[in-house]
Amino acid sequence: MKVAIAQISSVLGRVDKNLERHLELIEKAVKEKAELIIFPELSLTGYSLKDLVPEVAIRPDSSEVMARLLAASKDIDLVIGLVEERRENPGIFYNSAAYLSLGKIAHIHRKVFLPTSGMFEEARFFARGHDFRAFPIGSNRTGLLICRDFLHYSSSYCLMADGAGLIIAVSAAPGRGITDEGSQCFQSSPNWELMGQAISYFSSAYVIYCNRVGIEDGATFAGGSFIYTPDGQLNLKLPYLEPDFSLQEINLDLIRIARKNRPYKRDDRPEAIWRSLGRLIRVQDED
Amino acid sequence: MKINCLLVTKVLTNFIREESHKAGFEQNIIGLSGGLDSTVCSYLAVKAVGPQNLFALIMPFKDYDQEGVRLAEEVCKILGINFEKIDISPQIEAYFSSHLTDNPVLRGNKMARERMSILYDYSARMKAMILGTSNKTELLIGYGTIHGDLACGINPMGDLYKTQVGQLARYLGVPEKILKRKPTAGLWPGQTDEDEIGLSYEELDKILFRLVDERMTLEEAIKTDLEEKKVRQVAELIRKSEYKRKMPPVAKLSERTVGHDFLYPYDWGK
Repeated sequence: MKVAIAQISSVLGRVDKNLERHLELIEKAVKEKAELIIFPELSLTGYSLKDLVPEVAIRPDSSEVMARLLAASKDIDLVIGLVEERRENPGIFYNSAAYLSLGKIAHIHRKVFLPTSGMFEEARFFARGHDFRAFPIGSNRTGLLICRDFLHYSSSYCLMADGAGLIIAVSAAPGRGITDEGSQCFQSSPNWELMGQAISYFSSAYVIYCNRVGIEDGATFAGGSFIYTPDGQLNLKLPYLEPDFSLQEINLDLIRIARKNRPYKRDDRPEAIWRSLGRLIRVQDED
Repeated sequence: MKINCLLVTKVLTNFIREESHKAGFEQNIIGLSGGLDSTVCSYLAVKAVGPQNLFALIMPFKDYDQEGVRLAEEVCKILGINFEKIDISPQIEAYFSSHLTDNPVLRGNKMARERMSILYDYSARMKAMILGTSNKTELLIGYGTIHGDLACGINPMGDLYKTQVGQLARYLGVPEKILKRKPTAGLWPGQTDEDEIGLSYEELDKILFRLVDERMTLEEAIKTDLEEKKVRQVAELIRKSEYKRKMPPVAKLSERTVGHDFLYPYDWGK
């Protein structure tokens, strides 16, 4: 399967301009015969939205923007980032990522872990998602994570336990730390790669990380998107800091081979994890 | 505290180019003193937008810092940027001739604000983004004039300590004469920052790094190799200058108030 990664910047608060950019890149990816194109977190809106959140929100079932993207998804699968407002829950806004396929919404993931400390203030403006769930695409199961979700390894565990052979993490991660003299990247960037390698290997799953670039209010988004194979091997690495559009062939058979050779998935015991979590949550509640 | 100069240069040149363009400016403008910060910022800006898109203003007061003026002109020549020299003495003297003072800080603040006033005037005339040159050390201890040198359109230098600016200057090939100069705000002839603050930049940056970047408490910082009196002095400077790092408080009356809960990004729609 040929995958396109759109390591782009967005115009902050301008869904119209961002939609056009998405459609251009989707067209390019289709021409290159890609079957999936992945955009970063909040790709339709930009990241540092604050009070713009309600103004740029999209209702997936009635939005013209979504209709145009759904039409485009007849030719290629898309992962896009949006501010989502659900019809059944008006006035509640999620930092969401949607997987669109064959003209339909295959899945929407609502970011569970909203960073709200230091330079981050997501929980001030967004509601929290509640679930990690893999979903079927073709003969494979896929899972979506958004930025900080990926740095909590329990998120990827849930997707692995749910059978995901492809874990897609979309991100708007600003770079921090400049005292590492020999490095090409911010000190915060290798954390993502560390997680990518570990999760891909121990989940026997492809991990595709798509981070954005550009600058918003002085913060630089670090780029450095990547793909790790189900053997934990680096398969593609995009440059840090620079916009990029890359295509990469991935071999979904490697998921089967990795699971056959190293049966972490077969030997997983979600019921033991569930029991342990149940106990510790009960104990916490009693405290 | 050493920095990765290659990465920092890349990030800061991207910052100058992108933030300036997003705000609708092709041109950038800088007040050049012949000191380290404005020189380094000019080097970065030329890398970011090219010499044709940077304009420098050299704004001496009398003959307070003739060497600074000479060095600033030299920097313009090396970088190939256009500049103009504006003597601010007449307007400063006109004011103080009727508002007498022998307090050099009052005079220095007035000069800093006059220079910024000219920069904003030129910014509007030339449609140019004003590049700020306040470094992290100055911002944290409040060593700058509010609405004077602390003002700007964007500030590429504000997350670099003075000693880190020095490291970056070496990397960028800034003339040795500028690197070796004693930092001065030019408040009076022969004035140096370090004498006025009472600490060397090296000491100051080490204390700030512990307190700010490493988030040590005063007690933790004092237990390291730092001198207690100096740590307390720096902590007090940080506390007392918070007002210089913020927009002034707005009295809250309504449900939605500028500065409280009317929250939009700086790069709104850009």
